[in-house]
Amino acid sequence: MAKKTYDLLFKLLLIGDSGVGKTCILFRFSDDAFTSTFISTIGIDFKIKTVELRGKKIKLQIWDTAGQERFHTITTSYYRGAMGIMLVYDITNEKSFENIVKWLRNIDEHANEDVEKMILGNKCDMTDKRVVNKERGEAIAREHGIRFMETSAKSNINIERAFCELAEAILDKTSGRESAENPERVIIDRRNNEKAPGYSKCCA
Amino acid sequence: METVGDSVPNGTAPPRTTLDIVKERFKEDEVILSIFDAYQIIGHEYTNRLLALVSSASGGTFAIIAFSYLRTPPLTTVNELIINKVFAIDSSFQIRQDSMGSINTQQFDLSTAEDGPFKYYYFPTESSNYEDFHAKITSCQRSMAQYDPEAVLNFRWLNDYRQIGEVKQELKKRESEYIVYEDIHIFCATWNVNNKPCGDGENPLRSWLGHTAQPPDIYAIGLQELYAPAKAMAYEMVKTTQMGGIEKTWIDKIMASLHPDAKYEVLGTQRLVATMLTVIVRQQIRPQITRCRLKTVARGVFNALGNKGGVGISLQLNEGNLCFINSHLAAHMANVEERNADYNAIVQGMTFDDGRTISDHDHIFWVGDLNYRIQEPPGQQRPGPMSDAQTYELLLQYDQLRQEMQRGKCFEGYTEGDIKFRPTYKYDPGTDTYDSSEKQRAPAYCDRVLWKGTRIEQLAYNSIMEIRQSDHKPVYAVFRVKIKTRDAVKYKRVQEEVLKAVDKRENDNQPQINVEKTVIDFGSVRFNEPVTQNFTVFNNCPLPVDFSFKEKDIHAICEPWLHVDPRHDSLLIDSARSIRLKMHVSVRTIAGLLRKIRQSDNFDILILHVENGRDIFITVTGDYQPSCFGLSMETMCRTDRPLGEYTQEQIKQLINDDSPEYRVTMPREFFLLIDFLYKQGPKQEGAFPSYDSRQSLGSQFNLLRDWLDSWSDEPFPVNAETAAQALLLLLDLPEQALLEPFVEDLLTCSNKSRAMDYISLLSPPKRNVFMHLCMFLRAGIESQYYDLQQVASIFGRILLRSGECTAWMDYHSRCVQFMRLFIDNDMESLGNGNDGAGSGDRTAGLQA
Repeated sequence: MAKKTYDLLFKLLLIGDSGVGKTCILFRFSDDAFTSTFISTIGIDFKIKTVELRGKKIKLQIWDTAGQERFHTITTSYYRGAMGIMLVYDITNEKSFENIVKWLRNIDEHANEDVEKMILGNKCDMTDKRVVNKERGEAIAREHGIRFMETSAKSNINIERAFCELAEAILDKTSGRESAENPERVIIDRRNNEKAPGYSKCCA
Repeated sequence: METVGDSVPNGTAPPRTTLDIVKERFKEDEVILSIFDAYQIIGHEYTNRLLALVSSASGGTFAIIAFSYLRTPPLTTVNELIINKVFAIDSSFQIRQDSMGSINTQQFDLSTAEDGPFKYYYFPTESSNYEDFHAKITSCQRSMAQYDPEAVLNFRWLNDYRQIGEVKQELKKRESEYIVYEDIHIFCATWNVNNKPCGDGENPLRSWLGHTAQPPDIYAIGLQELYAPAKAMAYEMVKTTQMGGIEKTWIDKIMASLHPDAKYEVLGTQRLVATMLTVIVRQQIRPQITRCRLKTVARGVFNALGNKGGVGISLQLNEGNLCFINSHLAAHMANVEERNADYNAIVQGMTFDDGRTISDHDHIFWVGDLNYRIQEPPGQQRPGPMSDAQTYELLLQYDQLRQEMQRGKCFEGYTEGDIKFRPTYKYDPGTDTYDSSEKQRAPAYCDRVLWKGTRIEQLAYNSIMEIRQSDHKPVYAVFRVKIKTRDAVKYKRVQEEVLKAVDKRENDNQPQINVEKTVIDFGSVRFNEPVTQNFTVFNNCPLPVDFSFKEKDIHAICEPWLHVDPRHDSLLIDSARSIRLKMHVSVRTIAGLLRKIRQSDNFDILILHVENGRDIFITVTGDYQPSCFGLSMETMCRTDRPLGEYTQEQIKQLINDDSPEYRVTMPREFFLLIDFLYKQGPKQEGAFPSYDSRQSLGSQFNLLRDWLDSWSDEPFPVNAETAAQALLLLLDLPEQALLEPFVEDLLTCSNKSRAMDYISLLSPPKRNVFMHLCMFLRAGIESQYYDLQQVASIFGRILLRSGECTAWMDYHSRCVQFMRLFIDNDMESLGNGNDGAGSGDRTAGLQA
């Protein structure tokens, strides 16, 4: 189908314990909406969202995974294709934070070696219920050399930023690999003329 | 006769036809000749397509555009059409009835040089008349073949439909929201320099090029008759020899003579022998120019030498496409037709590398020594230096260019401003005096500037008398052009909105199915009793959906005890499909299931995959009703009540228990089976017919299973054969063979006392079962109920079951040999007899 509407396609994955807000984060990012009703994801959903980074249209295909324990094994089979992984915990849920280590191990075992990772401490709007302070999130991220951000899908804090940063990190890696391909370059056809100063200046 | 019922109610617009809707997709000068409903055949799939046969007035060509539907037809709005394929009806286009197709009369394929063939299929209905469609295509092809090869035909109009992403299509639609028009001053100039040098001084041409009130943004300067020695006229020679230097000298002088208040750079210069066009732009607008292409069309001697002809430069400034042409047309008063022919040849030949022709630009400026003369009236042609506007008007009535334009012979659609200056040709060089030589050539307006396109306003049009070295006077025109420009802020906003809308449409149109339930609970599941559960999947999204159960790591869609039917299917809109899930805990699958139960709370998780959509996890659960079959001897020896009274969770704990404490010395179930068989006396004869007999369970088997699992007080429910079969299964079904972990050792030791060393290391339940079994078999063999060789073979392979050793050439004979050590009464005496049961009364242990 002559329908390519993007320059690059990045596949991202959202993982983390059940109820930490993965689906809400995705919903906020793709539809700019929030619903407080909890509907457990039974499977793998995805949404797409095109962002423009450094003049490139990047289509993000974001896979939202089931967080329930019984699906952990089966969801690991989806790690392989991901170029970026958002690892989400809930700042009001100690257990979800403790499990970050387990999720990181899962990533190590099942994802591509060069996958870009980011840890998100979600629900940061719920200050009165907070049990995991920001420093602990930062510390574990630093320890593993991963980006970290506190987010709130409900109050729309850092959601867009998180995805864009992750996409940008992937772009950094990707652009090293692919040759600079710029369709909008000026081409001056000079077949009958010798070089003269100024002709070679092209703009993008 | 009028039919009353047919009248449309007042105020209701007549319903729009598909054709009406499709029309919206095309431009005004594009006509839909026919639309045709078809299916594209991709593999075994049929996908709805709408084919439109379209003709373009601007391109003068035809094409078929194949649309896919975003929603299932019928079409309600134009937004539901997505361009799928574009077939230009050019010489490579083919429509072929596919005789290879299975339904050949309704299949055809389309192909072009670049693409295809693509296979299509149609229903012969009234609304889609293939004969009509095909006839129209054929007639397009025929008229295509008859085209004058010289005619200006192109398929460029298709570029708007081809490979243009949804986002671009959408952005184009909303152009009015972000396009603004920016004023640009363009200075066009032409001068036939008559082989003379450009003049002395630093900026000898300033009075011509640098005198405007405001610095122009773009200069397009055309020169003709640059110094060219007659013998070096041949194009190639001129190109490589002296001309380069001359070209540079001229450009340097031109650059020095430009408006002093702005900085300029050369964007491009193109020369054809002695005709040169240079486009110079203000440095500050240079970054807004995104495309620049050059092209020459040679005319003159043999229409090829290039002493006459045209050069062109095409550029894109922001969203505006500009084209500049400089031409030197045929000379002499009489050669009007030749000039017209030169003009037409330049128009036809001037196709830039990107396929753009002159008319594909928004703003076109044509300068040059067009060489059209003033034919009449004699005597009026030599106006004095101070002649007024009336004189020019009178002269221009006899201007060949204006006459030819009026006759539609050249420069169709071009405009020229009022001429308020003296004829620019022919002067005695160095003077303002018309040709005083013998030839006395009549003065003429040879040097002109014309334009074509939208939003162009001429601000000035004049000649420069005081530049005198040539026999022509230089001419210039200044234009204010409103260039289409994207407002960066508005564009960004619109683009964001478009991206969002396109994303949303894609997200909303994701194929989706609903499942009746994501947990399939089989309830009570028992060994050797298949159960089935049905669940429904239904499609309530606006697209047909394909679904399948996805293979998992194990390269199967489900665990071996499950069977899914169908494994994949297609669902039309608003349709449902019942999926049948069968669970069978069989001889083959029990070990795996018990292993699964040890680790997990469910029997399996299936992945229901929607093509191009999400995956749904279907959890399969139930209560496995424990049975002795499949359990290890150790586990059975830990039970304190009938297995039928255990829950799945309890049996899981029991299986995972690895303490060395046992409630009984050997499994009660095993003991009861042996006991029953032993007591059958002669009736047990031939109860173990073969190794394979353990697999096919008879109808009586479940009675025995329940009897064993309930510790029933009822009489033994089945016959000896079924009991024998159950005995084999009890020994064979556990994950681990009875004699593990010593199978390999036992298979390689030929001596009974070495073998006994290993046997004594087995767990007590296994050891006891083994010894008890051997005793029973010995008794049976002794009584000649069983054939020694046969039971040695059957039991050997069960007790010494091994994944690795089976590959040994003599595995089978080793199994037999081992068994014989323990059940062959003749060999018994060779052993040291420390088997615990004693050799004196071999049957003593078998008494209940």
